[in-house]
Amino acid sequence: MQGANAPVIVPRPVVRRPALDLSVWGPRAETALIPLGALGASLLLFGVFVALAGANPLDVYFEMYRGAFGTWFSFQNTLQRASPLMLTALCTALPARAGLIVIGGEGALVMGGLGAAAVGVALSPFGAFTVLASMLLAGGLVGASWIGLVGLLKVRRGVNETISSLLLTYIGIALLNHFVEGPLRDPESLNKPSTRSIGDDNMLGTLPGLDVHWGLVFGLVACLLAYGLMYKTVFGFAASMTGGNARAARLSGISVPAVVLVTCALGGVAAGVAGAVEVLAVHGRANASLVAGYGYTGILVAFLARHNGLAVIPVALFMGGLSASGGLLQRVFGLPDATVAVLQGILFVVLLFSETFYGRIRWAKPEAA
Amino acid sequence: MTDPAASLVSAASGQALALRRVTAERMTKSFGGNVVLDDASLTLEPGTVHALLGENGAGKSTLVKCIMGFYQADSGRLVVDGVPVAVKSPRDAQRLGIGMVYQHFTLVENMTVAENLLIARSELPRLIDWKKEIAKLRELMRTMPFQLDPEKPVRKLAAGEKQKLEILKQLYLGNRVMILDEPTSVLTPDEADEVLGLLRGMTREGRLSVLMITHKFREVLGFADHVTILRRGKLVASAPTAELTPEKMAELMVGSEVPAASSTREEREPGSVVLEVDQLQADDDIGLPVLCGVTFSVRAGEIAGVAGVSGNGQDELVEVLAGQREATSGVVSVRNRAYRGTRREIHQAGVRLLPEAPLRNACVAVMSLAENIGFRDFDRPPFTFARFGLRASAFKKRAEQAIMTYQIRAPAPGAPISQLSGGNVQRAVLARELHGNVAVLIAANPCFGLDFAAVAEIRSRILDARNAGAAVLLISADLEEIFALSDRILVMSGGKMVFETPAATANVREIGRYMAGHE
Amino acid sequence: MEAEATLGLWGVPLAIFAGAIRVSTPFLFVSLGECLTEKSGRVNLGLEGTLVMGAMSAYGVSYLTGSPWLGVLAAGVIGTGFGALHGYACSKPRVNDIAFGIALMLLGVGLAFFLGKPLIQPSAPRLGAIPFGFFSDHAQLRSALDVNVLFVAGVVLAPGLAYALKNTRFGLILRTVGESAEAARAMGYDVNRIRLYATMAGGFLAGVGGSFLSLYYPGSWNEGLSSGQGLMAVALVIFARWSPQRCLYASLLFGGAGALGPALQSVGITSGYYLFNAAPYVLTLAIMIVSSSATRASEEMPAELTTVR
Repeated sequence: MQGANAPVIVPRPVVRRPALDLSVWGPRAETALIPLGALGASLLLFGVFVALAGANPLDVYFEMYRGAFGTWFSFQNTLQRASPLMLTALCTALPARAGLIVIGGEGALVMGGLGAAAVGVALSPFGAFTVLASMLLAGGLVGASWIGLVGLLKVRRGVNETISSLLLTYIGIALLNHFVEGPLRDPESLNKPSTRSIGDDNMLGTLPGLDVHWGLVFGLVACLLAYGLMYKTVFGFAASMTGGNARAARLSGISVPAVVLVTCALGGVAAGVAGAVEVLAVHGRANASLVAGYGYTGILVAFLARHNGLAVIPVALFMGGLSASGGLLQRVFGLPDATVAVLQGILFVVLLFSETFYGRIRWAKPEAA
Repeated sequence: MTDPAASLVSAASGQALALRRVTAERMTKSFGGNVVLDDASLTLEPGTVHALLGENGAGKSTLVKCIMGFYQADSGRLVVDGVPVAVKSPRDAQRLGIGMVYQHFTLVENMTVAENLLIARSELPRLIDWKKEIAKLRELMRTMPFQLDPEKPVRKLAAGEKQKLEILKQLYLGNRVMILDEPTSVLTPDEADEVLGLLRGMTREGRLSVLMITHKFREVLGFADHVTILRRGKLVASAPTAELTPEKMAELMVGSEVPAASSTREEREPGSVVLEVDQLQADDDIGLPVLCGVTFSVRAGEIAGVAGVSGNGQDELVEVLAGQREATSGVVSVRNRAYRGTRREIHQAGVRLLPEAPLRNACVAVMSLAENIGFRDFDRPPFTFARFGLRASAFKKRAEQAIMTYQIRAPAPGAPISQLSGGNVQRAVLARELHGNVAVLIAANPCFGLDFAAVAEIRSRILDARNAGAAVLLISADLEEIFALSDRILVMSGGKMVFETPAATANVREIGRYMAGHE
Repeated sequence: MEAEATLGLWGVPLAIFAGAIRVSTPFLFVSLGECLTEKSGRVNLGLEGTLVMGAMSAYGVSYLTGSPWLGVLAAGVIGTGFGALHGYACSKPRVNDIAFGIALMLLGVGLAFFLGKPLIQPSAPRLGAIPFGFFSDHAQLRSALDVNVLFVAGVVLAPGLAYALKNTRFGLILRTVGESAEAARAMGYDVNRIRLYATMAGGFLAGVGGSFLSLYYPGSWNEGLSSGQGLMAVALVIFARWSPQRCLYASLLFGGAGALGPALQSVGITSGYYLFNAAPYVLTLAIMIVSSSATRASEEMPAELTTVR
């Protein structure tokens, strides 16, 4: 059948290319070079800013380094802060692979923490393992339904996920306040309304030889899993298609609503677990301390890492270090505690602006066809 | 000596209008060594309708864009009433009273007729006195052979009315020389006749000169006074319409190089029904019904061509079949099994699609060529291991195969597909969609915007698929393409299939009537 | 109405009415600003940051100069600057306006907290009110009818903007750009510049909205001043279907929802206080669910907004 009617095909000799092919590696190099350039530009801008505020930028940077990584103590502090950031970053990074900009990690963390605390308090007599397992499960489930709701509203009603996820954050914080001041309040918590404690014996311990709780391991494992899922599996491929061009994904038979729902729910699991870990390892109970801004910083971590789970790890460490150094900046230079927020804001703005440079660096001449 | 442009402006602003003769003299234009327009000339006599005829890529658009000042010709010049003029931008052309109506409407849908007219003006008052402006527009409208309500939003106008508004806009701007790029491509034959009749009438009254790009002989014969034919950028004929027959025009347009598919149609009886669509209904983007009970079937080993004026539901039909749009009711089935476009069904039924604008519809620009070629099979071995894992080497191998077989010019399999040219993107999609067992092939304007060679190749591939026993649904706005490829012709109008005939005995006139929505 | 008589339960609707006017003012300004920006075909989610920056700078300037109106002006100028930044950045290829808005939101809030640190203690001169309740000598009624000047300005501004969009050259061009960038370009307009102006104007209004927070109600500067009003205003524009006039009504509705919690608290209903405080967010979400659609775009939506996403 192939015979006479098939068009005559003259095989074109395949041109051997040098091992380092810039047309392939150039775009990949961009994904590292441009964020690094953005980081440099941000540090420069921030330097000018603190100089205007009357501090020597070089001193500030040195103190920041010291406060983040300079001593064993500060490094452990950084690690401690990085672990929730890894998880909340995934809350933005996973849906982003499917093309959604979700910024509700803070709400999912808070709700996850509240749900976990409620379960943990109820099950506290049954021993540490039961409490650990049930709280992680509860945090993950609550988080999954919280961000899953964002995905559901998107696919069913076309509700803008960015706005709805942030609104849900405000609603979540209000619910937290309602429950810790009302139905779930520990009558003994006077000046800081809280739920009852999950019990000191049930709290999550620290890693052997470190003063860092096990949440760090959860964060690392979650990032690695997220990376593997998104870059090495069939589901991740389908998510990339959905995020890259939903029309093409539909044409290939991919259920776009399913992909959106699953990525949202998984992102919610990550943030919800972050909340559960905060209760399990840090606070021992749910209260307003859960609203610590990890969700917002996580957005920045996700964007800086270009929504790549593997890259989230170092970026979360970096941002964790930044926030760890905040206290030192306050003590040494008398700078307000919002200083770190300013640097984060500058970094975010410059980073997004740097997007415009992708594909504009000329690596190789595009071939005319 | 006075500035010729200035004198023309003063003439145009005066009431006693003398139409000017516009001549493009020996224009040549090349892009990157590729000569698109080669020493072509054209003279538009005042008060006439002049048709510019040619195949896709013959240089028609380039010629008018040089006249309009979008492009600067490499050589040659524009002469108005014997005076050479420099046109460096569309604004210069407008100053000479030359305006252009584009193939696609440049109207703002959510604004009224009056707002659309005013916004086109080069100078607007800071504060608009709507009472006065609307009164003026009504005044202008009184001199027109058609009426439009100035306060009606454009989105509520029919396609024909929009085209009239485009023409009105040019007159409102004071343009007396009007260039129209395929002005009837989105109109029914009736609307087309009406609009062209209006234009012709206004040229007879000495209010206008018209240059229209077209490839429809019917319109040339019915409305043009003079015809200029381009082929491959060269002028091949310029003559009064009366001296030409359709056969002669076709020969001049295509020359000896008829873009025949290199594959031939094998004589074969169509097999059993494969694709069946029953009473399909769907809504458009703002929720209005656009498919109103589409019913048809396609058999194995036949090409069913769907003809129709653009905008009668063809795009939406393809979208529903591609799973990009939800049907509100009706059934699509393949080999008697309901088909909803899930991956399992696509694979089992062997359904493949060649949509138009493949980069928008069928590719993910940020993913690599290899990944894009893997879209159909990425969730099956050899692309997977352990069921869910991806095997990068398999993607690369398949892509290298495709690059060889389909002669795709790409830097490397790992390069983003957005780096490829349009023709190569279409080849990559062909390679992907025609791989393996193809039982149903749905092609929507698959050759749109491609050059001769690519067109011939794609048509051959479609014929090959049909010869190999696939049921092929070809949806095309190009009637010539429908006739060239189809075994059976369907006509779509008003969101329904309204007519069906074997291609061998099909009659163009009859099909045209059905396209227009008249029985 | 007897002057001595207590208003009793009538106090609740009255408190909600007065509260609605107070609470709605920042919504009104931010939503009018966002409406203008979106009419040009661009979304600025960063208005929350602009609002907070506006509140901080207005308070600071009012404190330093003693003139609250200079504070309002300063807030507008700062907002214009933020708008210019957004407008400029988003005119560059590949810069996502939604994400950039989020970044500006975080930057604005961070900057305001940083610069506003010294402003938490001192008290600055506040904006005045127009006593529409002068006829009554009932204190509660009079205080309810003390309407702030900015609200009155906003009430005038809403139809004013609607008029300008319809009847001025700039309004017409702005809408063209928002409906079809391609058509606008073909007519020779610089789409990015028009959008820059629209985003700057939107920033100005959002900044002024922020000044209301620190200079009238609640009337001081602190870090908990805004809780998402800037963002809710963006949702409100969708609800108002891109009509400035409807932005006014929607703002009043949101203001009413926001005033519900404090009003109930004022008559002694305190249970579920936090839940009532969440009412505006729930209302916003509910409204978005009702007014969006997964399959069709709103007819009134500027067409360029649909192609962006």
